[in-house]
Amino acid sequence: MATIEIRGLTKVYGNTRAVDQLTFDVQPGRVTGFLGPNGAGKSTTMRLLLGLDRPTAGSASIDGRPFVSSEVPLRQVGALLDPQAAHSGRTARNHLLALAISNNIPVSRVAEVLEQTGIAAAGKQRVKTFSLGMRQRLGIAAALLGDAAVLLLDEPTNGLDPAGINWLRELLREFARQGRTVLVSSHLMSETALTVDHLVILGRGRLLIDLPMQEFIDSRNTPRVQVRSAEPGRLRTELAARGFAIDERADDEDDNSLTVEGARADVIGGIAAQEGISLLELTDQRVSLERAYLELTADQTEFTTETPVAGRQNSA
Amino acid sequence: MTTLAVAQSEWIKMRSLRSTVGSLVAVFLATVGFSALVCALVKKSEVESPDFDPLELSFYGLTFGQVAAISFGTLVVSQEFHVGALRVSLSAVPRRGVFYASKMAMTGAVALAVGLLSGFTTLLLGQVLIGDAGIGVSDPGALRAVVGSAAYLALMALFAAGLTALLRSGVAVLSLLIPLLLIVPFIFTDFASGTMSYLPNRAGQLLIRQYPDGPIGPWAGLGVTALWTCAALLAGWYAVNRRDA
Repeated sequence: MATIEIRGLTKVYGNTRAVDQLTFDVQPGRVTGFLGPNGAGKSTTMRLLLGLDRPTAGSASIDGRPFVSSEVPLRQVGALLDPQAAHSGRTARNHLLALAISNNIPVSRVAEVLEQTGIAAAGKQRVKTFSLGMRQRLGIAAALLGDAAVLLLDEPTNGLDPAGINWLRELLREFARQGRTVLVSSHLMSETALTVDHLVILGRGRLLIDLPMQEFIDSRNTPRVQVRSAEPGRLRTELAARGFAIDERADDEDDNSLTVEGARADVIGGIAAQEGISLLELTDQRVSLERAYLELTADQTEFTTETPVAGRQNSA
Repeated sequence: MTTLAVAQSEWIKMRSLRSTVGSLVAVFLATVGFSALVCALVKKSEVESPDFDPLELSFYGLTFGQVAAISFGTLVVSQEFHVGALRVSLSAVPRRGVFYASKMAMTGAVALAVGLLSGFTTLLLGQVLIGDAGIGVSDPGALRAVVGSAAYLALMALFAAGLTALLRSGVAVLSLLIPLLLIVPFIFTDFASGTMSYLPNRAGQLLIRQYPDGPIGPWAGLGVTALWTCAALLAGWYAVNRRDA
C-alpha cells in the first residue's frame, strides 16, 4: 500500500507558477482522476513526484520517502508520461528490455507486458512504425513492467481505440481493487466518470477540488426537471404561478418540453396530476461530470476558446 | 537497482540503435581502412626517408576513427534528449549519479574495446602492407600505440559524451568538435609543437608515433587528453544533476 503525499508543492518556471502550493494525498485502493485544463499543472506535478523536475518549494513523496531514493524504482512506480518518449529507432522489445534490466526485472516480464497491452506482434518492430495508439500501449506496457504499487498515467487514453479505452478502464479498476494506488489524468470526462472513484482537480496550478467523484458531482448539482407535456402552455402557466423558474434556453428544439429549475420530478408530477395535465415525459436531470467540471474550471482555463460547451445528461 | 544492472541496460540501449552500432563500426572501418590505404600506397622514397615513421603511418586512420568515436559518444547521450527519453530513463533509474556513471562507464568500455580491436588490426595490416620497412608488435612503441590509440578513442568518445550532456544537443557538439579536430590542426600546423600540442587530439595522438617529439611525452600527452575528458565529464554531470529533465 503506497500513499502519494503532496505537501505545499510549488514549481516556478520564470514568471509562471506552474504548480502553486499544492497539498493533497492520493490513496491506495482507488482510482484517482487528475483533472484540470491544459496548463493547469498536472504533468508538472507528476514530473515533480518522479523527481524529474525539482520543486521550488514543498515536497512530493511516496510512503513518506521521495521517489528518487527508491531502491526499486520500477517496482514502486510505473509511469507513463509521454507516449512519444520511446526512441523511434529502437524496437518495442528492446525499449522494454533496457528498462527491465536496469531494475533487475526478469526478462520474461517484457513478453508478458507486450502480450498484455496487445502489441506482442509488433514487439520486434521499430517504434517509428507505431501509430499513436500503439505508442500509447507501449508506454502503458513500460508502466506495467515492474508490477508497481503505484501507477501514474498522464493521459493514457490519447490515441487509444474504443476497445483499448475499455481495456484500460478495466485494468485501472483491477489495480485499484488489488489495493494499488492509481493516479490518472485525462481530458475525457465521460471516460473519467466511468473509471475513477476520487477526483483531484487543478486550475492554474492550484488545487480546486479533492473529493470523491460522486460528492463532487452532487456538490455542483442543482435539481432540474425536464418535462414534456401535451399541454405545455397550461403547464407553464401553472408552474409559473407556483413560482418555479423555467429555463427557456434548454427547450429550443421541442415546444412541448420544459426544463424546470430547482424542482424534482415528484413535485412536478404531483402538480401536473393535481391540475389534470397529462405528461409525456418526466425526468430528473443530473449534472454530468463534464458539466460540473466545465462550470468549475470555466474561469480557470488558461487556454480557452469561444465555443460554448454545455450539455446536461439525463438520468432516469 | 545496481550500477552493474544499469550499465547492462545502457549496453542494450547502445546495441539496439542502428546509429550507435553504425558509429562503432565506423570507428573500426575508418581507422583500419584509411591506414591500410596509405600504407598500401606509400612510396619507396618515403619509406627510405629518415623521417619515416612506420608506426604513425599504420595509425593514419586514427584521425578519421576519432570522428566516428566522437559521433558514438555524442549519440549515446543525445538519444536521451530525444523527446521525453531522459524522463523514461530517470523514472527507471532516478539516482542521477548511478545513471550518469553507468552510461559513461559503458560508453568508455565499449569505445575502448572497439579501439583495441581497431588498433591491433590497423597495426598488423599496416605493417604487412608497408612490407620490408614495417615493424612488429614487439618493436618499440608498437604495443604502446595499440593500447594508447584505444585509450585515446575511448577518451574522445567520453569527451564528446560529456559535452553532449552539457549542451543537450548532438548537433551542437558535432559542429563544435569536428571542425576543431579536423580543420584547426591543418590551418595551424606551425604551432604543432607549441600551444596546439595541448589540444585534446594533438596531445593524445603523440602515442602513435614511434619516436614522439614535442614538449610532452606520449603518455603525458594521453594524460592531457584525459584532463580534457574529465573536464567535459564533470561539466556534463553538473548539467545532468542540476537541470530539470
